[in-house]
Amino acid sequence: MAEKWKDEEWAKDFWYSGKVTRRRLVGWGAGAIGAAMLVPAPWRAAFGAAKAFKIGSEQPLSGAAALGGKTAIVGLQMAVDRINKNGGINGRPVELVISDDESKPDVARRKTLKMVEEDQIDVHVGGFLSNICLACMPVWEEAKIVNMISVCLDTTLTTTKCNRYSFRVHDYAPAQAVAFGPVLNKMGKKWHIAFADYSWGQSTRDAYADEIRKGGGEVVGTTGIPLGTADMTPFLSKIQGDFDGLFGIFFGKDGITIGNQAFDLGLTKKYKWAGDGAIAEPINLPALGNKIEGFVGINRYIPVFEGPFDTTHHRKFFDDAKARLAKIDPTGPLPDRYVQSNFEAMNALKVGMEKSKFEGRKDTMKLIESLEGLEMKLSDDFFTGDKVLRKEDHQAFPLEVIFEIKGGKHRITETIPGAKTIFPPACKFSAA
Amino acid sequence: MDAVAQFFQTFPYDQLLIQTVNGIVTGMILALVASGLTLIFGIMDVVNFAHGELFMLGAYVGVIVMVGTGSFWLALFIATLTVALIGAALQVVTLRPLIGRDPLNTILVTFGISLILQNYALWQFGPTSRKINEPITSHFILFYLEYPWYRILIAALSAVIIGGFWLFLKYSKFGVWIRATTQDRVMAQAMGIPVPLVYTGVFAIGAGMAAASGVLFAPLVGVNHTMGLDWVLKAFIVVVVGGMGNLGGSIAAAIFVSLLESYASIWVNPSQAVIVSFVVLILTLLFRPTGLFVPTPK
Repeated sequence: MAEKWKDEEWAKDFWYSGKVTRRRLVGWGAGAIGAAMLVPAPWRAAFGAAKAFKIGSEQPLSGAAALGGKTAIVGLQMAVDRINKNGGINGRPVELVISDDESKPDVARRKTLKMVEEDQIDVHVGGFLSNICLACMPVWEEAKIVNMISVCLDTTLTTTKCNRYSFRVHDYAPAQAVAFGPVLNKMGKKWHIAFADYSWGQSTRDAYADEIRKGGGEVVGTTGIPLGTADMTPFLSKIQGDFDGLFGIFFGKDGITIGNQAFDLGLTKKYKWAGDGAIAEPINLPALGNKIEGFVGINRYIPVFEGPFDTTHHRKFFDDAKARLAKIDPTGPLPDRYVQSNFEAMNALKVGMEKSKFEGRKDTMKLIESLEGLEMKLSDDFFTGDKVLRKEDHQAFPLEVIFEIKGGKHRITETIPGAKTIFPPACKFSAA
Repeated sequence: MDAVAQFFQTFPYDQLLIQTVNGIVTGMILALVASGLTLIFGIMDVVNFAHGELFMLGAYVGVIVMVGTGSFWLALFIATLTVALIGAALQVVTLRPLIGRDPLNTILVTFGISLILQNYALWQFGPTSRKINEPITSHFILFYLEYPWYRILIAALSAVIIGGFWLFLKYSKFGVWIRATTQDRVMAQAMGIPVPLVYTGVFAIGAGMAAASGVLFAPLVGVNHTMGLDWVLKAFIVVVVGGMGNLGGSIAAAIFVSLLESYASIWVNPSQAVIVSFVVLILTLLFRPTGLFVPTPK
């Protein structure tokens, strides 16, 4: 009785013709299971619980900027681990898709396209070298993917070359110059600016020159030095004349080179010596030794527990970052602004994604709206303090710290709240 | 005539002297880097893309020795020796099996070695740059600058190392073997010279010279995993201008190119002065492809 259906006409062709054997049945079954594993089941997308958010991150892990890129990744990974430990974003875990841009804009652009098309990332957080951020900004705009800049400082990223999809939760040169200008004018009236001759260095030079002039000072000369120049002596030995201070705009190994060679030629003894805090980042200090003593710099973050950084929020960040940095560097460096800004950029993105109930790229506009005007309050997420992501240009204005290197360590001499560094917006978004 | 007189009156003689010193110092460092490179090419026909990484490796070994002993001179000696041994091992393991194969293979292998060494250094030593303290910190007044004696010492030491190597080539048995192999490797082998051993020795010497220059230059820039890249491109230019495989030519070209750049930087931005070396390179390739300092083939 049970096998009666096999006698039916329609079943004969199926069962008795030898088309279905045990071997074929097992084969089809395995195929079906395989296909089910490869193709996401519709309910998975519907419930969204198992699918991780793919966060793309472009970082220089090799090439000229690799030293900074390695610490930048630490900050990003710290934030992602913390987010996942606390249940993810909107109940979904976060998966980092890291791409090495090799410190080259052409490679970065190619890998950006790969992240967009092949990796299918939902949002992007990263970017270290400003020329790379500039090269990739149009890609994010075209792909309609939110791009949270985590290190790049070039002014034009949020002014003349801004776009609706890119945000910067850390500072930029015009705000730094507003904060540092009065200090520089107290140190001296006449300045010579030496700068890394590429997008960030050039825009930062202009910002400081404007601010020094506004304060009644004068920039008597500027010296652009190409990125990665090993021997800066031909450049530095041309710097002479009647001025009070030498202002340096360099980062990474160029910061070490200028610190060493300007000292060797007597420039930092003859003139006051100030500049961007990137020259004296913690990973640079061992190679600078006592040649960086007395350097006065500005930064959004330095690893000290003084003034506004004497908080439990900072302590939590510092301890975790230090432990992780020790794993990638036997000298156990202290966290720097690259760790800090990647950590806070990822957290800002998290807050925005939660606020907008972001589910994927289709919600990009909702995410943008939630990030515009985002208020970041002093917390474990934003341990450097309160700041607002300005709607008009997607630029934030964090606290600025003026410091001096004494005894091989950073010492805060002044802090300037972000609200006092506000610079008028100069961005016009094209119609989305 | 007035224009000529005015030119000489306004001529920046201080800059001329400063840039001459700069040019000679840079030229001597470059000569030391380039002589290892040209030696390896001259004997083995290997374009060593890992030369910059051997420079970097030398500096890192120097750092380790400095931390352990505090002696710069010991660091210089041990780093040179260690990297020479590493160079010999690299040659035996990776380049010797490729003898007689298409030169493209050796280019790819040395390029691969350079990537491995660079990433190994980053992984092993981390992103923090290291310091080698210079053995002398005094300076002399050169017009408006305090010029460090250490830079002069680098030039002098480079000259001593190159001079020592020249004497080694001229008077030692192994030096004779090297010269014989350069002239005609088949005949050298036929005469009983152990050519594979000469190859290994030459690669080791080239690596050691790169390491020595890495230690000498480290106090000026700090030690990091990409420090070799900055020098190796210029060293390649010098090797081509001086004549591939021509040791004397490379040394002369290193000083010539560095002085040209330094003098150009009196009038133009030093970043534009760098163009001079590329112009010299292009002109050399166009009009004297065998090198500026090689006799014209008849």
